Amino acid sequence: MTLEKPAAETAQHSPSITLDGVVKRFGDNTVLHGVDLEIHPGEFIALVGPSGAGKSTLLRLLNGSHSPTEGRVQVLGREPVRCSRRELRRLRTEIGFVFQQFGLVGRLTALENVLMGALGTLSMPRYGIMTYPKQLRERAVENLERVGLVDQRFQRCDTLSGGQQQRVAIARMLMQDARLVLADEPVASLDPAASISVLETLKKLSAEDGFTVVCSLHQVDLALEVSDRIVAVRDGQFILDKPTNATGEPEIRAIYQAHRGA
Amino acid sequence: MPTTLTPPGTRGRTPAPAPARPPRAPAATWVIPLILGAVTVFGLWWIDVRPAAIAAGFEDITRLLGRMFPATTGPVPELAALVVETLQIAIAGTGIAALVSIPLAAGAANTFTGPRWVQWLCRTLIVVSRAVPSLVFAIIFVRIFGLGPAAGALAIAFHSVGMIGKMMTDVFEEISAAPREAVNATGANRFQVFVATTFTQALPQMTSFVLYRLDINIRASSILGLVGAGGIGVALQRSIGSLDYPRAAGIIAVIIVLLLVLELISNLVQRAVSEHAGDTKHSMTFPPGKELSSPGWNAPRVGRSAGLLAGVVLFILSLSALSISPDRLARGWENAVAMLTGFVPPVFTAEIALGLFESLVMALTATTFGVLIGLVIAVFSTDHLVKVPVLGWALRGVIVVVRGVPDIVYAIVFVAALGLGPFAGFLALAISCTALASKFFTDALQNIDPGPIRALEAVGAGRLQAFVAGAWPQFVPSFIGNSLFTADLALRESAVLGIVGAGGIGFLLHESVTSIDYQSTAGILIGLIVVVVTVEQMARWARRKVI
Repeated sequence: MTLEKPAAETAQHSPSITLDGVVKRFGDNTVLHGVDLEIHPGEFIALVGPSGAGKSTLLRLLNGSHSPTEGRVQVLGREPVRCSRRELRRLRTEIGFVFQQFGLVGRLTALENVLMGALGTLSMPRYGIMTYPKQLRERAVENLERVGLVDQRFQRCDTLSGGQQQRVAIARMLMQDARLVLADEPVASLDPAASISVLETLKKLSAEDGFTVVCSLHQVDLALEVSDRIVAVRDGQFILDKPTNATGEPEIRAIYQAHRGA
Repeated sequence: MPTTLTPPGTRGRTPAPAPARPPRAPAATWVIPLILGAVTVFGLWWIDVRPAAIAAGFEDITRLLGRMFPATTGPVPELAALVVETLQIAIAGTGIAALVSIPLAAGAANTFTGPRWVQWLCRTLIVVSRAVPSLVFAIIFVRIFGLGPAAGALAIAFHSVGMIGKMMTDVFEEISAAPREAVNATGANRFQVFVATTFTQALPQMTSFVLYRLDINIRASSILGLVGAGGIGVALQRSIGSLDYPRAAGIIAVIIVLLLVLELISNLVQRAVSEHAGDTKHSMTFPPGKELSSPGWNAPRVGRSAGLLAGVVLFILSLSALSISPDRLARGWENAVAMLTGFVPPVFTAEIALGLFESLVMALTATTFGVLIGLVIAVFSTDHLVKVPVLGWALRGVIVVVRGVPDIVYAIVFVAALGLGPFAGFLALAISCTALASKFFTDALQNIDPGPIRALEAVGAGRLQAFVAGAWPQFVPSFIGNSLFTADLALRESAVLGIVGAGGIGFLLHESVTSIDYQSTAGILIGLIVVVVTVEQMARWARRKVI
C-alpha cells in the first residue's frame, strides 16, 4: 500500500494526483462517471468544459472537501477520505486553492490577507498585521512583490480591481509553499486582459517554484495559451487528455463543440 | 369628493393589459390591528380605565407634582458617586456581555459546523437571556451577590448577552462565506478561520451594536437601584421609601439630564464614527512604516487604537470598581447553587398565570394607545400632512425629554399619586409607548420617498388625498413593524413594573425572591420566558408577512 510510505519519499517519485475510477454522486445526480487521471509534479493542467461538467466537483475531491462515491483519490501521496480532521488540515496546508471569488476579507489590507495563508503553520488565531511573526511578514511582502502588488500592501482589498484581488489571493496561496495548486475558475469574473495576466502570473510562479497546477477554465483559448496539458470534461467524463502542444486543430474544434453543444 | 379619486385608477387601467389591481394586502395587515383592538377593549375594562378615573388621576398627579417642588438633590458628592457607579455598572455589564456573546453567537449561527447540541444550547441561552428583563436578573443577583453594583453589572450582562448575541448571530449568518472557505482551505484551524474571516468581517457592525447597547444599558442601570443593585436608582429608592418627594424629583431630574447628555454624546460619537468609516475606503489603511512589512501611523490608525485603548481601560476600571472579591464570589456561588436547587420543582399557580396575563394585557393595551397617539404626533412632527415647523420641533423636543425618563420612574410617580395597581402601570407604559412609537413613526415618515406625494399634488390632489394615496402605502409596513416592536418592548417593561406596585407579574416575582420561595420564582420565570418568546415569535411572523 502506497499509503504506508513516508510522505516525503512518495512526493519525489510518484504522481501528484492519481484518480482511479472515481464516481461522484449527489443523491440521484451523478456528476462524475468513473474518471481516471494521473498528474505529475510541476505540470500545469487546464481542466476545460462547460459549467456543470464536473470541474468544480473534481477540484473539491482533490482537496478533501468532497469524498468520492466510488473509486480512489490520491493527492500528494495521501487519500483525503482516509485523513483525520487534523491530517486533512495538514494536507490542505500543502495544497494551495485559488477561488473564482478570491475569498479575501475586503476590509483588511492586502498584506494581512496574504498573511492568512500562513495560519496553517501557526497555532493561535491572529488579528492585525503585527500579530504575525516578522519572518512571515517579510515573506508576505516578498510574495506581494512577486505578484506585482507590493505598493498596494496597505490598501484595503475591496478597493483593488478584480485582477489585483486575484493576485492578492495568489500571493496568499504562495505563503503555503504548496506543492499542488488547485484553481477553480480563477479568472471567470475578470475581464480578458486581467484574465491573461493572472494566468500568466500563475504559470510563471509555477515554473519558478515547481508546483503543480490544476486549473479549471471555461475559456478554451486561455487554456491553450497557458497550460502544459489539457483535460476536457463533459457530462462527468474526460473527452480529451493531451499535452497542449500536441492538441491538433480537429481536437480543439471538438472541445469547442463540446462546449457549445451542451 | 369621492369622484376625484376614481379617474387616476381608471386611467391607469386602460394602458396596462396586465393586472392593474394592486396585490391584495396580506391578512396580517388587518388581523393584527383587529387582535390588538380586541385586547385593548378588554384591557380597558380589566384595568378599569375610565375617562373619569383619568381626570381624577390627573388631579392627584398634579397634587403630587406640587409636593415634589421645590426639588432638591441632597448631598451632591454622594449623588455624583452614584452617577459614576451607574456608568460603571453599564460599562462593565456591556463589556462582559460583548465578550461572552461572541462565542455564543458563533455557536448559534447556522454557519456553525460543530455538534448540534452546542448550537442548540447557544440558541437557547440567547433566547432565554433576551426574554428576561435586566431588572428581573437584578432581583435574582441581589439575592445571590448581595446589594450593590456587582449584582447590577451581572444583571445588565445577562440580559445584554441575549440582545447582542442575537444581533451578532444575524450578522455572522449574513456574512460572505468566500473568505471563510478560502482560509479554511489553507489548513487553518476552526478558531483561526473564525477570527481571520467571520469575526473580522463582522467587527464594524459588532462595534456599533455594542455601543448602541451601552447606550440602552446606561438607561437600564440608572434604575437597577430600585431593587438594590447599585447606581443612582439606589438614591431614588431611598428618597421614595422615606417619602422625600422633593429629593425624588431632584434625582429624577438628574437621571433625565444624565440620559439626555449621554444621548447627545452617543449621537456625536456615532456621527464621528460614520464619517470616519469613509476615510479608509478610498485610501491606504496605513501609510508605509519603518519596514516594508510594518504599517506606519496615520490619524485614523491613532484614532482607532486610542478608541480601543480607552474602551479597554474603561472596562477594566469599571470591573474593578464592582468590588468582587474571591470570598464574595464563593458566597455568591453557594447562594446560586441554593437558588438553583430551590428552583426544582417549579411551581405554577393560578395567581402567577393571572399576573402574567395582567402584564400582557397592560402591555398590549398601552401599545394600542401609544401607537395611536404616536401616529398623530408623528404626523404633526413631519410636514407631509401638516406644515407647522414650530409645532414639529416642539413635539420632537418633548418626545426626547419624555423618552429620557425610564418607564419605571413614571410608574413610581403614578403609584404614588393613584395608588397601587395596573392602572398606574398602564399609564406609565402608555406614555413610554407613545414616546417610542412617535419616535419610530417620525423617523419612518421622514424617510419615505416624497416623489409620489409631489406627483399627486401636481395632478391637483388635496393634501389629505396626497398623504393617504402617496405617503400612507409606503409607511404601512414600517408602521406595523414598529408597532409590533413597541408591543415587544412594552411586554418586557410591564413584566417589571410590579416591582414598584404598578401591576403585573413583577410584584409576585419580587416577592417570591425576597421571601425565598424559589419554586414560585422558577415558575414565574418559565411562564415569563414562554409568554415573551411567544409574543416575539408572533410579532416576527407578522412582520415577515407584512414587510
